[in-house]
Amino acid sequence: MHQPSRRRFLAGTGAGAAALALAACSNAPTSSSAPAGSQSGGMKNFGVGTQFKAAAPLTFTIAMLSNPAYPYNANWPFFKYLKQMTNVSFNPTVIPFADYNTKIAALVNGGQAPMIIPKVYPGEEDQYVAGGAILPVSDYVHLMPNFQDKVAKWNLAGDLDQRRQSNGKYYLLPSLLQSVWQDYSLAARADILDKLSIPTPGTWTGVQSMMLAMKHAYPHNYPLSDRFNQPTPGGAFLNILSAAYGTAAGWGYQAPSNGAYWDASSSAFVFAGTMPQYKAMVTFVNEMYNQGLIDPESFTQADAIALQKLTSGKSFVISDNAQGVVTDQAALPSGQTIVKLPLPAGPLGKTLAQNASGRISSGGGVMISSKALSSPNFTAMLQFIDWLYYSDAGQLFAKWGVQGVTYTGSVADGTFKLEPDVTWAGLNPAGTKKLNATYGFSNGVFSTYTGSTQLLDSQFPAAELAFQKGMASWALSPLAPPAPLTTTQQQSATLTGTTLMSTVQSQTLQFILGKRPLSQWDQYVSEVNSQGASRFVSTYNQAYSTYKQQHG
Amino acid sequence: MVSEPAVTESAPARDARPADRSKAAPRGHGGDPAPGRRRGARPWPPPGRGYRAFRVINAIILALVAVAVLFPFLNVLAQSFSSERYINAGQVSLWPRGLNVTTYEHVLSDPLFWSNYRNTVFYTVTATAVAMAVTTCYAYVLSKPHLRGRKALVGIAVFTMFFNGGIIPNYVLVSFLHLRDTVWAIALPNAINVFNLLVMKSFFENMPPELEEAAAVDGMDTYRILWRIVLPLSKAVIATMTLFYAVMFWNSWFAAFLYMDNQGLFSVTVYLRNIVDSVTSVSNGQLAAGTQVQIAANIQAVTVVLVAVPILFIYPFIQRYFVSGVTLGAVKG
Repeated sequence: MHQPSRRRFLAGTGAGAAALALAACSNAPTSSSAPAGSQSGGMKNFGVGTQFKAAAPLTFTIAMLSNPAYPYNANWPFFKYLKQMTNVSFNPTVIPFADYNTKIAALVNGGQAPMIIPKVYPGEEDQYVAGGAILPVSDYVHLMPNFQDKVAKWNLAGDLDQRRQSNGKYYLLPSLLQSVWQDYSLAARADILDKLSIPTPGTWTGVQSMMLAMKHAYPHNYPLSDRFNQPTPGGAFLNILSAAYGTAAGWGYQAPSNGAYWDASSSAFVFAGTMPQYKAMVTFVNEMYNQGLIDPESFTQADAIALQKLTSGKSFVISDNAQGVVTDQAALPSGQTIVKLPLPAGPLGKTLAQNASGRISSGGGVMISSKALSSPNFTAMLQFIDWLYYSDAGQLFAKWGVQGVTYTGSVADGTFKLEPDVTWAGLNPAGTKKLNATYGFSNGVFSTYTGSTQLLDSQFPAAELAFQKGMASWALSPLAPPAPLTTTQQQSATLTGTTLMSTVQSQTLQFILGKRPLSQWDQYVSEVNSQGASRFVSTYNQAYSTYKQQHG
Repeated sequence: MVSEPAVTESAPARDARPADRSKAAPRGHGGDPAPGRRRGARPWPPPGRGYRAFRVINAIILALVAVAVLFPFLNVLAQSFSSERYINAGQVSLWPRGLNVTTYEHVLSDPLFWSNYRNTVFYTVTATAVAMAVTTCYAYVLSKPHLRGRKALVGIAVFTMFFNGGIIPNYVLVSFLHLRDTVWAIALPNAINVFNLLVMKSFFENMPPELEEAAAVDGMDTYRILWRIVLPLSKAVIATMTLFYAVMFWNSWFAAFLYMDNQGLFSVTVYLRNIVDSVTSVSNGQLAAGTQVQIAANIQAVTVVLVAVPILFIYPFIQRYFVSGVTLGAVKG
C-alpha cells in the first residue's frame, strides 16, 4: 500500500479533508496480497463461469444511489433473487441521485465509507487516492477472474492503464465495454426530412446541406437550436463534432484532461484549443451560423428552452441520445416524428475518437473502501463484485432479471424479449410493471451500459439498434497513453487548465457567433499561449514520459 | 432568594441605560418596515405633491416586485395542473392548460413522499423547539449587562457567522457523536442562528428593567422572571423567531441529506431536490444513459406546490406578531 507523503496528502484533499482522511488511513494495510483470515465466506474454486455463492450469509455495506425514477426499495425482487443466488445481502447507505458525489466525498473523507462504492466515474477516484481511504484495487484483481478475463478478451489493458495513478496502481474497477459505444448524435424531425425529400445525412457536410434545405423551406426558423450546454457550452454538439475533426471540444474538453489532447501523429500531448483541427471545426460551425442554420442561443440556452423550440416547430435538429429520442418523441405533437441521425463523419472519416477513457467511461465503476481489507470476508466480497459486475451471468441478471419472471428467450441466441407486461426505456411502453422501479433490475447501481455488445444490443428498440449497427463500420482512433499527474502537477495543471478552459470556451463561442473575426485566430493563439498553454501541455508530456520510464 | 442580591446590585447600572439604548436599538433591527407607524406619529416629510408622487411611484415599484415574486409561483401552480405536453411546449403561463389532476394523485400516492413529509414536519417542529429554547436562553443571558464575559460570549457567537469547519469536519463531528440518522443531527448543529440571536438579544435589552426589578423585589428568581415576566411580554419576538426558524428548517435539505443514510429518514426537501435537480444534472455528459432520469415537468411542479404551500400558510397567522416583533422598540424613546 502506498503511503502518501505529507505534502501530497495536504495538497490532495485540502487541509480539512486531509486531516480526517488520516483517520481513514490508519487502517491502511502494508502488504498487497489478501490478508490471512480474509478468506471466510469466499469460494476456493471461483472462476469464469462459476456461480458465486458465499458459504455463509454475508452482508456488505454499500453506497446505494436512489434514482428518483426508481427510488431505492429494500423489497425489490432483485435483492431477494440476489440473496438466493449468492447468499449476499446489503446494508445500504441510501444517497439521493442529485448530490451523490457530495455525499460520497463526505463519507470517504470522513472515514465512514461503505465497503462498496458504485457509480464512480473514471477520474472521480483521483481525489481520494492521496487520502488512502480507497483501496488500490489493482493489487487485488487476481481475485477477480471474470474481470481479468474480460480485460484480456476485449483487449482493455490499454484503457485500464489510463486509470493508473502515478504509483502505477488504479483505484477504480471501471465498467467494461466490448466495443466503443456511441450514445450521442444529432436527431432530426423525420417528417420534415420526408416532406422536403432530404436524404439522411452521413457526414457533417451532409448535415449542413440538410439544414440548408430546411432553412430554404422555412426561412424564418433556425434548423438547429441545441441543448446539453452544461457544464460546457455546446457540450454534446461540439463533442461529437470535435471528435470528427480529431480534436476536443464541448464535453470532450473539461476536467480532468482540460484539453490536453493526445496527438497520435506526433506522439505527444498537444493543446486542443489551438490545434489546426480546432480552427477548422470552429470555421465550419461559424459558416453554418452565418448561413442562419444555428440559433444564436444554441450553445447557451437551457435544455428545456431548446426542447420547447423543437416541440413547437421552431427548430428541427437537436442533440440527442438513445433515451432522449424516446422522451422527445413523447413530447412532440402527433404526426411529428424525431429520429436519431447516424453519427456524422467529418474530415477523419469514419473514425471514432476515443475520449480520455475509451471503453471504460460510459458506465460508473466501483471503488472499494480500504477498510474492507480488514474484513474477514474480503475475498468473498471481491468474488461477489466480480460475479455481479463482471460475469456474463451477473450482468445479465442485473440488467434483465430472471428468465421467466422479467424476460423470456435468451440474449445469446437473439430471442430475448421482456415479458409483455414489463416495461423499460421504450420497450413494451404499455407494460404496467417497470423493470427498474418495480423489480429493481436495470438499476444504475448494479447495471450500467456495459458488457458485451450482444448484451447491449438486446436493450435497444429497433431504431437505436439500426443506429448501433451503423456504428459497427467505424474504426477507432488510437488511445491516449497513461500520463498520471502527481498531486503537485495536478494542482498546477488544474489552476492553469481551468483558466485556459474558460478562455478557450468563451473565445470559441465568440468565433462561432462571429463576434470575433476568424482573422484574429493567430492573435487568439498567442493569447492562450501567454496564459501558459504550452507549460500546461508539457506537464502532461512530462508525466507521460515519467510514467513510461517507471512502469514501462 | 439566591439571586436577589445580584438583581438589586445591577439595578443602578440598568437605570442609566434605557435612554441611549432605545435610540440605538431600532436601527439594529435591519430593514425598516413600519413607515406607516412613524408617519402616524410625526408626519415627515409633510404631505405634498412631491410626496404623493413618491407614494405612487413607490406603489408601482412595489407592485412590480410583487408580480416578479408571485409570477414564478403562480406559473408553477399552473404547471402542476397542466398536462405534460403543454409544459414542454412552453405554453403554460398563469393558467393551466390541458387540465390534469392525475399527477397530484400520482405524487400523493407515493408512500416515500408521505414518509418524507412526516419527517419534515417532525424535524421542523423538533428543531424549531430546540432552537427557540437555546436561542432564547442565550439571548436573555447576553442581554444582561452585568454578566461577566458577555463580550466574549457574543464574540463566540459572531465568530461562527464568519467561519465554520466545513462539510467534512462537521460530518466527522456528527458521526463521532453518534447523531447520524437521528433528528439531532438536524436540530443541534443549527440550533443557534446568530442573526436571530442578536435580534432577540436587542429585544430583551429594550425591555424596561423596572419590570424585572419589581419581580425580583417580589421574590422571583432569575428563571421565574424569565418564564413568568419576560417571555409573556416577548410574544412578538418569539413568534417572529419561531417563524424564522420554522421556515429555515422546513426549507433546509442539506443536513438531512448529509446525515441521514436511510431514505425513510430524508426530509421532503431532499425528495424534492432529487426530483428537480436530477433533470438538470442529466445533461452533464458523464451521467450516461444508464442513469438518465426524466421526471415529468408536471411532477416537479406538483411536488414544489405540495412542499411550499404548508409553510406559506403559517405566514398569515404569525404576520401580525411579525410586524410588531421586528419593529418593536421603534417608537420608544
